Parts: sequence; C-alpha cells; structure tokens
Amino acid sequence: MSKKSFVECERHRLQKLLNFRLPIAFKWLGVLLLVSAFVLFFFRIQFPDQGELLRSIGRKAFIVGLLCISLARDKEEDEMTVGLRAQSYAIAFIVGVIYALIMPYVEFGVSNAVHSGGEVYKDLGDFQVLSFMLMIQLGIYHTLKRYR
Amino acid sequence: MDNTIKVERAILNLTQDDLAKKIGVSRQTINSIEANRYVPSTVLALKLSDVFGKPVNDFFKLNTDD
Repeated sequence: MSKKSFVECERHRLQKLLNFRLPIAFKWLGVLLLVSAFVLFFFRIQFPDQGELLRSIGRKAFIVGLLCISLARDKEEDEMTVGLRAQSYAIAFIVGVIYALIMPYVEFGVSNAVHSGGEVYKDLGDFQVLSFMLMIQLGIYHTLKRYR
Repeated sequence: MDNTIKVERAILNLTQDDLAKKIGVSRQTINSIEANRYVPSTVLALKLSDVFGKPVNDFFKLNTDD
C-alpha cells in the first residue's frame, strides 16, 4: 500500500468514526436501561447482603443507558443537529471538568458547615463524573435543539 | 451573513417544510437559516441554489460584520 493511499484509508476510517451514530431504537434501549437501573437502586434495600453488587450493576446500567441515548440517531438528523450535538459534548466536557474539580470541596465544606467534624475530603468517583457529564450533554443538546 | 431565502421560497410558493424536504433537512433548520441563526454548509447552500435555480450569491450576502 502506498503512503498516499494509507493516509486516505486512515482519513476515511476517522471520518467513519466521526459520523458514527447508533440507530434510533437505541434511545429506547437507553430509557429501558435507565428505568432498570432505578428499579435496581430501589431493590437494593430489599436485599442488603447483595446491596453492593446490585448497586454496581445499577450504576453500569445507568451509564450505558445514558450513553445509548446520547449516541442514538435523531428522528430528523441533519448538519445543524450534528453541529449542536458537537457543541453540547464540548460544553458537557468543560462543565464536567469544573464539576470534578470544585464539587469535592463543596461537599467537604457543606458537610463540615452543617455538623462539625463532618465528612473527610474525598474525590468524586467515576460514576458521579460520567453520569453528570452525560446528563449535562443531553440537557444542553435538547435545550439547543429547542431554541434553534 | 444575510439571506433572502424567505423571499425565494415565497416566489416558488414553497413552505418551510416543502423546502426542508427538498434539500433533506428539518423544518427547524430552514427556520434557523432564514432567521440568520445558522449559517449552512457549502453543500446545503448549493442544494438551495439548485432548488431556487440561482447562484448562491443571489440569496446569501455578506454583511459588514463578516
């Protein structure tokens, strides 16, 4: 393979990756996963010995559900919605980073202000950051779409 | 950038929805272009040119801010 055709092949592959979207049906699969995650969170109380396992499965289902909704194609997808989606990912990324940096201090400060000797300082977990970023992305995307 | 898409659409007696279907976008996208909230890509501009039967420069004009 010549150098030029190799570059072309790589560019084509990158373009395919950039245009990747899941079919519309995945939006409903995502909603189903979110509902099942909430059901698991409630069932966790009924089975205290299996609590940690159910919580872990519920968290994974919640993240995968949000990701499915986020990546699913719209009913009316055109170049404008593609642009709005890109903007929403950029905003969600920036807000997510700020949230991950500031929120631990807020939690620590509030906890100690409410009762002395409250929680110790701890960083946010991956679930908290990822779910926050995906929720912000979906919220921003639908807001931008509504006001386009 | 200013445009006269609304006028061109009226000349051809097309609704926003008709035009949107002709060039394969949503009605909201046409509405945003007409209201100067969204600048379309070259491909979309050329599709509009094809529908209106006029060069792109006839219905898209640069303004002083551009």
